[in-house]
This record gives sequence, C-alpha cells and structure tokens, in this order.
Amino acid sequence: MQEAPGSGPGGPELPASLEFSDDLTEFLRQPSLDQLLQLARDVVLDPTYPTVRAWTRPGRRAVGCFPVYTPQELVHALGLLPVSLHGGGENVEISHADAALGSFLCSISKSTLELALTARLAPFRAFIFPYICDVSRNLEGLFSRLMPGVETHMLHLPQNFRSEATLPFLVAEYRRLIAKLEKAGGEPYRPERLEASIELFNRQRRQVGELTATKRDHPGKLTLTESYLLRRLGGLLPREVHVPLMDRVRSEVEQRPARTKDVLRTLLVGPFCEQPTLDLIDLIEQAGCSIVDDELLQVHRWYGSVETGGDPLVNLARAYVQSPVDIGVRAAPTSKGEAILNRVSAAGAQGVIFLTAKFCEPALEDVVLYRKALDRQKIPYLHLEFDERSTTFEQSRLQLETFVESVLFD
Amino acid sequence: MESTATHAPSFLNTAREQQRTMVEEYYADLAKAGGPKKPVAYMLVGGNLTEIVRSFGYEVVFPEIVALNCAIKHVSLPNILHAEAQGYGLDVCGYVKNDLGLQELGGETPFGRIPPPDLLVCSFSGCYVYVKWWEALAEKYGCPLFVLDVPYMREPEVQAEDRTYLIAQLKEFIALLERITGRSFDLGELRRVLVQSRRAEEGWVRYLASGRHRPSPIEAYFEAVFYMFPINVLRGTERAAEFYATVNTEVEQRIRSGQYPVPEEKVRLVVEGVPPYPSYRTFWDFFRKWGAVSVAATYPKVGGLFDQGFLHDPGRPFESIADYSLAAYVNQSWPLRRKLIADYVRDYQADAVLIHGIKSCRSFTAGQGDLRDWLIHDLHVPTLYLESDHEDPRYFAPAQIKNRMDAFFESLGPRREGGPPPTEGS
Ligand code: SF4
Ligand code: SF4
Repeated sequence: MQEAPGSGPGGPELPASLEFSDDLTEFLRQPSLDQLLQLARDVVLDPTYPTVRAWTRPGRRAVGCFPVYTPQELVHALGLLPVSLHGGGENVEISHADAALGSFLCSISKSTLELALTARLAPFRAFIFPYICDVSRNLEGLFSRLMPGVETHMLHLPQNFRSEATLPFLVAEYRRLIAKLEKAGGEPYRPERLEASIELFNRQRRQVGELTATKRDHPGKLTLTESYLLRRLGGLLPREVHVPLMDRVRSEVEQRPARTKDVLRTLLVGPFCEQPTLDLIDLIEQAGCSIVDDELLQVHRWYGSVETGGDPLVNLARAYVQSPVDIGVRAAPTSKGEAILNRVSAAGAQGVIFLTAKFCEPALEDVVLYRKALDRQKIPYLHLEFDERSTTFEQSRLQLETFVESVLFD
Repeated sequence: MESTATHAPSFLNTAREQQRTMVEEYYADLAKAGGPKKPVAYMLVGGNLTEIVRSFGYEVVFPEIVALNCAIKHVSLPNILHAEAQGYGLDVCGYVKNDLGLQELGGETPFGRIPPPDLLVCSFSGCYVYVKWWEALAEKYGCPLFVLDVPYMREPEVQAEDRTYLIAQLKEFIALLERITGRSFDLGELRRVLVQSRRAEEGWVRYLASGRHRPSPIEAYFEAVFYMFPINVLRGTERAAEFYATVNTEVEQRIRSGQYPVPEEKVRLVVEGVPPYPSYRTFWDFFRKWGAVSVAATYPKVGGLFDQGFLHDPGRPFESIADYSLAAYVNQSWPLRRKLIADYVRDYQADAVLIHGIKSCRSFTAGQGDLRDWLIHDLHVPTLYLESDHEDPRYFAPAQIKNRMDAFFESLGPRREGGPPPTEGS
C-alpha cells in the first residue's frame, strides 16, 4: 500500500490518496485488529474511493449505491461490485454542487454531487438512487444529466406494505434495474448467480448481526466507532474480502476483555443516511453513552436473511417488503410512538439520542412523534443535529455530557 | 421597457366571482361535515382519488389547499410557529407545519373550521413528505390510513407494471372503503362522476392552452393558480365542469375585446415552481410592472398533467385513474420535467423562464439550480432563479426579489431585440 497524489479534472487538487493492490489483500494481512481499524479509518476518510479504484483497475466494474437500502445482492450477481456511497464526509469542499441543488438541503446530497462533478466517482460505471426521500430521488435526475456515459437508476422502493401487488411490483422494479445494470456492463442475469450472491450476503449480514449483538450485550468489547468502521468496510470492500475479514475480526473481538464502566445504555436514532463524522461518533461514547443499537448503515440490517430456494428475485423482493425495519424512510408498519418504545425495550436502552442530519426531513419529522411517545413513558432523550462536514463539537460535547449526567446521577 | 404603473388585472370577473362562491361554499360545507352523516377524508393533491372517495359519501379535505389558503390570507405564520414549538424544525415543509399547527390549534381558519379526518388517504405521488405528514396525522387521530404507492415516472409512457400495481391498489382501496362504510361500490356511479371529471379536465386544458395566443389572454401562473381549485378539489362535480366552460367563454371574450393580463405584453414567461403564497400579490406586481406574462407554468400541473393527455376516462375507469395518479408534475423525473419545460418554452413562444424555488420543499426544488444551468447553457433560454417559501412569510425578501427581477427583465430587453444575452441568470 502506498500513497499517491490524486486530482480530479475540473476539481481542486486533492490530498494524497491511498493506493491498494487489485485484490485488496492488504486488509486480510493487517497484523492486528487495531491496525485494521486504523486502515479502515484511513479508507473512510479518503473521498477518492481507493478500494474501488484498486478493485476496478483490472477492468472490473463498480456500482455506487446511495443509502439507505438498495438490493446490493442483485448488483453482485451481475458480476459488479456494489459500493455503499456515504457522501464526502468532512474532507470534501462543496464548491459546485450548491448551485445545482439548492440551499436547504442535506450535506450528503451536495457532497455526493460534488464528488461526481470533481471526477472522484470516476471508478463507478453506474449509480442507484433509491426513493428514500425527494432529495435522493432528484439527485438521480441530476446525475443522469451531469454524468454522461454512466448508467443511473432511480429505484422506486414501494411504500404500500399491505398490498398483494407490492411484491410483484418490486420484482418488476428489480427487472428494470437489471436491464440498466446489464447496460452498464453487468453480465446477463442468471438466477443461480443471484442465489449464490444471496448466500454470500446472508453470511455478511449474519456477521454484522453478531457484531452488533456483541456491542449490545458486551458494550466494553467494542466501541461504536469500531463497530461502525467494520460495517462501513462491508459496503466498500468486495464481499469476498469482507466476509473472511469479519471471521477474523470476530475471534479477535471475542478475546478482548469485556471492560465495564458506568455508562448510559443508549439507542441512537436518525443517522440512517448522511453519516456523522468519526469524531462525533467517538464523542458520543466518550461522553458516557454506550450505544446498544443504532440506525447507522442500515443496508446490512434491512432483513435478517433472504430465503434461499425458489425464485431468488422474488425472495430478495420479499425480504425487503417483509422487513420489520421502521425508520424515517419507510412508511411506518406500526405507529411511530409504538415503534420507538419497542426498540428501546428490545435494546434494553435507558435513553435515546436523536442524531439527525441538518435538513433531513424524513428524520426530523419522526423525531417529533418519537419524542411525544418517550415523554409519555418518561424515557430521557437528547436531540442533536449534525452535518457530515462539521468538525467542531464543543456544543454537542456539552449537551451529551449534561444528558448523561442528568440520567445517570439523577 | 418598464411600465410606469402596475394595474389591477381587469380580466378577472365572472369566473372569478363563481370561483369565490365555490370556495366559500366548499369551506362552509366542510365546517358542517364531520358529523355522523358526512365522514371526512383527508387527501393530497398529487394523484388524488377524489372520485372514488366521494362516491362513498366522504367530504374531502386537502390540507395542502387549506395551507395555501391560510398563506394567501396571511394567517399561516401562527400555525407554523405552533408546529415549530412542537418540534417541527425550520426545514420542514411549510404546508406540513401549517396543517399540523392548525390541527393542534383546533382547526379554526378565517374561511371556516376544518374538521378532523375519519380517513387518511395518502396518494404518495411525487412527494415523500406526503408519507411523513400522513403518518403524523394517523398518529394523532388514530384513523385508518391508506397509502396509494404511486411509482415515480421515469419513462415518458406509462409502464404496464406500474399500471397493474396501481389498479390492484385501487381495488384494495375500494374493498377497504366498503368495509369501513358498509356501502357497496357502485361502478356506474364512478363512471358518472368521471364523465364530469373529464369535462372539467378538457375545459381546464383548453384554458391552459390559450396561453399560446400572442398576446396571451390568460396569466398562466397567477390566474391559473386561482382556477386550480375546482380541478383539484371539486373535480367530478357538474359544477366544476360548468365552471371551466364559463372560464373559456370569458377567455374568448377577452380575445375579442382585447382585454389582456397587462396592457402591453412585453415578456412571455414560463414559470416553474410553487408561488410564494404569503406575498402572492406583491410577487405578481413585480411581473406586471415589466409587462411580463406567464404563458405556461408547471405548478398548475401538480394535480395532474391533464394537458399531456392524462385525462380521466369513464370508459377505462381504473386504468385512467391509475395513469392520472402517475402524472402529478412532481412525480416526473428530472429528465421528464426538463423536457416538459423546454416544450412549453417552444410551444408557447416564451422569451424566458422564471424559477421560483421553495426553501422548505425539496421535491420541487432540489435540482432547480441545475435546471437553470441547463436552460441557460444548453438551451440558451434566459432564466432567473429566485427563492423564498410557499407558506412562511419570513422567507420573502421583497426588495431583494424585486431587484433581481428588475435586473433580469431589464437585461431581457436588448436581447429580445437581438442584443447580448442577459447578465442576470447567466
Ligand atoms: S440525509 Fe435525509 S434528506 Fe438527505 S438524502 Fe438522506 S434521507 Fe434524504
Ligand atoms: S411537494 Fe413540496 S410543498 Fe408539496 S407537500 Fe411536498 S414538500 Fe410540501
């Protein structure tokens, strides 16, 4: 692994970016978990998608998948690398995207467009934007104009979960996506390939599920940042690399001592799309919270596992439709108030932190309903707003510390 | 080219009076509804199912329209502030805040009391906020919520799988209404209602098309917005159909007698975006001052792209309702929106495009900057982008908006006479 200068045509000179070998074995060769986590941190902070650049160098193709949920198994089954996009983070200056998008918008939409306009998404051959909100939906329309030569697809994720017709519709919707991905250089769709991809992704989901369960049941073994970085790699690396990596991680985590300290078992709600900076994620636990469940990187947790046997495309669609996930970008299967109370109790949480991205309307509107339910049950909560680009958190630190103290020492 | 004084538009008379009466009577009826005889359904404008819901005896409330009426009457701010006090942030859509604030305050408006819902029908057509808004109402009132999931339009033609999905949902909706009301669905009645819808739609399309005349006898943004009420709220009634007949007779009279929105039409505009309702008159004055007339606009199509052929058809009731629900303007992908606007510029011989962005509406607004860029650089159409809000008067900066409009219209003058391109907006 070495560092190379990066630059984007039409954009500013970029900071040096990481370089990897084509097979990304650097990840499997890290001598310790701590070193792997450091490498993960470097990769996450590098907006030039170094792992994707490396993997696609020998002619392989990658597809950028905007949050929150896309059927990445399907992308994989066509011989393409599905990559979870998470905006530009703190290292991307917005200079072109503001004018195209408008002012009252979340940062992830702007930084994603900025990455495109400054050629930092060059390794990608196609992009999928799910209809999670009007911003993500509209962003696809801009990409389709501003990125000639790549395929883009706005995936209509259904919002009527009671209709008999939803499942066949979603299957048809996936067929439209397949047609687009085949145009982007994907191999022709073969059900047996999808079946194999589903099995691989089921394994990855199991691993992620185990990781989050460890975090919940033995909070001292793993910080939120560590759990986050390992999950984040899961959307960047080929699954063929991430799955063996996670097997190794699990045994190392098991061997870690389960440190205990006075912490507030907390549910983290809101950051399902735009991602807080690593410093802010760190800060939450430094202030005395232990996050026992969170909404970060939902794509790995949309369903437990996809059924195998039968028509894999139907199975994949059914898993989406029947998912119990109740977050801001999916029409509520139950009442919002009931949902938050159930989640608090399932996670054994003592309080809730709402961490919502600025201008993220789906998250903001739910918070009002959640708060009313928590007030009724006298469950403490704190609401913080963030922007993926903010780098100072003094105010947030103060609010977090006061919140933890008020609950733990009341 | 600036006119010395603005004048009140002289062409708004008979139809305007009829419209006023219809609005007043509608709200008066609503204030009486909500009792045991007349249940109330809340519905959204885009992709709405008015015909079906009315055929089951419901009175229909459109909270978006209530919200814009509040804004025009300058009473939206207290509702918005009340919603903000409950936790709805500055960034949340002003319609949502007006409605949720108003609900908490008891529903009293200067035009009557808005009754609470017995049924919530969320036609999720082009705006994700619809889903969030209706969830909040369902949480508050605990009444049944039906989500009609309308696929986003990404191809110019209706796709068979989208239509099949919609028709299946419509039939499930009817079964739900039968269960709730204990009434049987009457297909004959639906067809009869659709005959009236079709008449109204054809009249509305004719009205909108008259913007093609030079000079235009209609104001296709400010005036059309007034006339949207029957097509969205009262569609399916004979009264709405008759109304557009009156409007079109009046438009013909205007052409014969030379009565136009401005004394001399100097700039023909296509307007994109929701109006700043709290400052509607002021904004309109900024156009009239320059002899600028909207000849076509996208906003009057939020309830449906009737002018693009998406009309209800009593001979194909479910199919045409399904197709109609897809055709809400904001349910069109950006490539389709861009094409529609470019077609309007060409077909209505417009000189320029004016985009009014809404701070708290991402559905309409996210990407309008790129639209502006495309119009200016790819199509070479002078374009001005302005921003305020549709509900919240705090975002309308009159001096700044006026200055930008003045500069834009000023710069259009030499261009229309073959001079250099305008500076503003380029
Ligand atoms: S952060 Fe929120 S508003 Fe922005 S794209 Fe994501 S879900 Fe949509
Ligand atoms: S389209 Fe815009 S104005 Fe209308 S409800 Fe949605 S967000 Fe609000």
